[in-house]
Amino acid sequence: MRMKILSLGLVTLTIFCPTTLLRAQGEGQHGASASKVVRLGRAPVSKDILKVTLPRPVVTKLPNGLTLLVLEQHKLPTVAFSLRIQSGAMTDPKDMPGLAMFTADMLKEGTTHRTSSQLASDVDNIGSSLNASARFSSDSTQISASGLVTNTDRILELMSDATLNPNFPQDELEKYKKRQIANLEQQRSDPDFLGEERFRHAVYGSFPAAVFAATRESVSGISQAQLQAFHDRYYVPSNAILGVAGDVKPSEIKDLVLKYFGGWKDHPIDKAKLGDVPPPSAFKIYLVDRPGSVQTNILAGDYGARRADADYISLVVMNRVLGGGPQARLFLNLREDKSYTYGAYSQIGDDTYRAAWYANTEVRTAVTDGSMHELMYEFNRIRDQQVPENELDESRHAIVANFALSLEQPQRLLNYWMLVQAYGLPQDYWDRYPEHVAKVNQEVVQTAAKKYVDLAHLQVVCVGDRKQIEDVLKKYGPVEVYDADGKRMP
Amino acid sequence: MRKLCALGALPTLLLSLTAGLTAAELRLPALNLNDTKLENGLRVIIVVDHTAPIFGIDVAYNTGSRNERPGRTGFAHLFEHMMFEGSKNVGKGEHFILVMNNGGNMNGTTNNDRTTYFESLPKNQLDLALYLESDRMRALEITQSNLDNQRNAVQEERRLGIDNQPYGKAFLDIDNLAYDNFAYKHSTIGEMSDLNAANLQDVQDFFRVYYAPNNAVLTLVGDLDPAETMVKVNKYFGGLPAQTAPPAIDLSEPEHYGERSETIMDPLARAPMLAMAYHIPQGDAPDFYAIQVLEHVLGAGQSSRLYQHLVKDKQFATEVQVQADKRRGPGLFYVVAFLRPGVKPEDAEKVVREDIASVQKDGITNQELEKSRTQFLRENIQSRQSDLFTAIQIGDDVVNFSDPNLINTVVDKFDAVTADQVKNAAQKYLIDTGLAVVWDLPAPHAEKSAAGK
Repeated sequence: MRMKILSLGLVTLTIFCPTTLLRAQGEGQHGASASKVVRLGRAPVSKDILKVTLPRPVVTKLPNGLTLLVLEQHKLPTVAFSLRIQSGAMTDPKDMPGLAMFTADMLKEGTTHRTSSQLASDVDNIGSSLNASARFSSDSTQISASGLVTNTDRILELMSDATLNPNFPQDELEKYKKRQIANLEQQRSDPDFLGEERFRHAVYGSFPAAVFAATRESVSGISQAQLQAFHDRYYVPSNAILGVAGDVKPSEIKDLVLKYFGGWKDHPIDKAKLGDVPPPSAFKIYLVDRPGSVQTNILAGDYGARRADADYISLVVMNRVLGGGPQARLFLNLREDKSYTYGAYSQIGDDTYRAAWYANTEVRTAVTDGSMHELMYEFNRIRDQQVPENELDESRHAIVANFALSLEQPQRLLNYWMLVQAYGLPQDYWDRYPEHVAKVNQEVVQTAAKKYVDLAHLQVVCVGDRKQIEDVLKKYGPVEVYDADGKRMP
Repeated sequence: MRKLCALGALPTLLLSLTAGLTAAELRLPALNLNDTKLENGLRVIIVVDHTAPIFGIDVAYNTGSRNERPGRTGFAHLFEHMMFEGSKNVGKGEHFILVMNNGGNMNGTTNNDRTTYFESLPKNQLDLALYLESDRMRALEITQSNLDNQRNAVQEERRLGIDNQPYGKAFLDIDNLAYDNFAYKHSTIGEMSDLNAANLQDVQDFFRVYYAPNNAVLTLVGDLDPAETMVKVNKYFGGLPAQTAPPAIDLSEPEHYGERSETIMDPLARAPMLAMAYHIPQGDAPDFYAIQVLEHVLGAGQSSRLYQHLVKDKQFATEVQVQADKRRGPGLFYVVAFLRPGVKPEDAEKVVREDIASVQKDGITNQELEKSRTQFLRENIQSRQSDLFTAIQIGDDVVNFSDPNLINTVVDKFDAVTADQVKNAAQKYLIDTGLAVVWDLPAPHAEKSAAGK
């Protein structure tokens, strides 16, 4: 539940906040902008790109079908396990939105060996962490456990107990339902949630990725039997990838994994094929009325590429140019130039289907019109004009140069390789990545822009005060209005 | 250049630990600090780490929102934004562009106590980082249009994090209610009217007074050679003139005579929230670590007392946060509970008070003490993964407590706390006269949103 936007006490404010989630015109048209970006070019920059070879994990497949990746890094005496089960929210039955999430959340609420509170004590007593989740927007369940390397055996035992032996006790289930009902209510006060919920409906239509929240009905209706059935059906080793990163030795870890996950019985599962996303809908603006808002939260985007598509990399580069950080077009325009916002960015998804890309910014209500104007200006610009060579070169360079920073984060490195497994990418994917990035030239970026920044089918969502913004939004296209409970308004 | 001290002697590389060490024997890896001061007063700390070919750099200035005067709240943070708007040899926006396009990551942060600017870059960009930081320490290019631009960015930052969110006002008001001394009483983000009033002269004055080498500490952690690095540091920072040390701020709180409370009607909230804050001493006080143990016992992990009582047993809350603020001046011990719709904050508050009373009467168990030590050790070891985070931590410790070695001793200090000391700290500090409480209640809407105007 994305509730904590604020921090306590020592409120530490940052200069910008890169987006990782989804998350009228008082000023008139800005003519000549008053506060423009300036490049003096005097700072000393090394032109060398550090050649980085990403460390590889040791990959094995266990007899029961579980794929195991082990990546060593001995800087700190810590270990982290990540289990990715390849079934999640997209596998929810249509009449039971949230089933995958409920199942994952309930793993920690009791097993055949431990009550919820015993599990919590066992985890905390060794200073470890154990988490399980199945977020909407992806088709996987993630279970992770980490802590000090001296407790490796125990950490893995706890993780295996929660993963393999949950028994979904009825009394814990009743408590969970109450918490979830409260979450469903609370999240409707969050403009990021409201924006993303409406955006998914707009883009995906009848496709399962459109679902972004459970309902009171689905929460109230959860039964032990349903949770057990989902668990037994989809939590099988051949449907899972286990990654281990840290101060470990592959051979020793493999023995430990066999000890706790070796008895995990496999069976074939028939996963319903997701199929393709439906054809895109025509350009439309969705206004989610949030009375009392002092900002408008704008999302605008459409289908992207599948993670395993060859085209994906051109989308990565295009996205970087458009809105991939404070050095990108959206930020430099809407914030540094026009003063509309604290931040404006774009992001792309990654999944087995064509997950959406979108631009996102939060602007003071009075400049909603100006912000829409600038977003459309940037979308048109990247389509109609080839990205200048030096700007494109900077983006390509940045993507490759950034790998150096990842070398200090073993879990991040491990995740690169988990992706290779999860999406069936070639084994030399990351070795050849710089080469593929280098091939994304001006023509390729422009082709990607025309394809993905598909203005005729762009879906735009604005969360804000209807009274103040509805009229200005109508200038940009047809507007449909919803309330914060997701109901269509006249 | 006088070398002040070289602390620690243990290597930073760790050998693989398999069997042998028990959790009790596992120690926080010691960092070897090279600690120097330039002639102009700039303190420079270097820690070598060859794990990855990168480095983290942090410049921490001895100024924060505590230095603001009435009528100019939010200024330290607004000023931080101005530091990215251009200096003599770096244009507006160029800092972002150069760092982000050369494989780096960056940000800046302001809080009540200090302002930091930091980057993480591949190791071949050390000159770039030092150039950028020294250029803006030397002279800013401040224009009215840049000031207006960043004023807007800051105001949108406030709207994004506070004014457009449920509970935003409550988070500002809890500090406002608890503190009497203006320094910590007012918010770091500032009031809109004060932000509107900030002018160019204010910016120039603030720069002159606070942004001087003798008022800053530069920390570098990563794949660096200390000798070569110091040559470069001298090249870029050596010529900067020292300024008069800024006046010290009195952070002391007067005595508090009674509990304070406030109820906020919140039109953006759909569920209630309870925020409580007790006065505690500053972060390097002898009692502080006992309070940190208490923080863990009450709120760290799902086995913690408040999680079990408020979330599981009574089902009043969906989430509980407990935090002991580690400040340069007097701190606050927060308990925040996000409540289920329909739950009365007074009922949740009663549970919190009961749990505190229970510790005051019976103390904590040995098992809870051991658990908190293991949790704290793990947190501190984990935080070493990032060179940048390590640099920021050291910078903060120098500005706030004049103790760069705190990063090496903090776990020992925590481990030295006894169960009796925890009980005594609860009795001494978690008392009504030191308490401020805010209840945030969802306010009914004046008009139904479905009416459609």
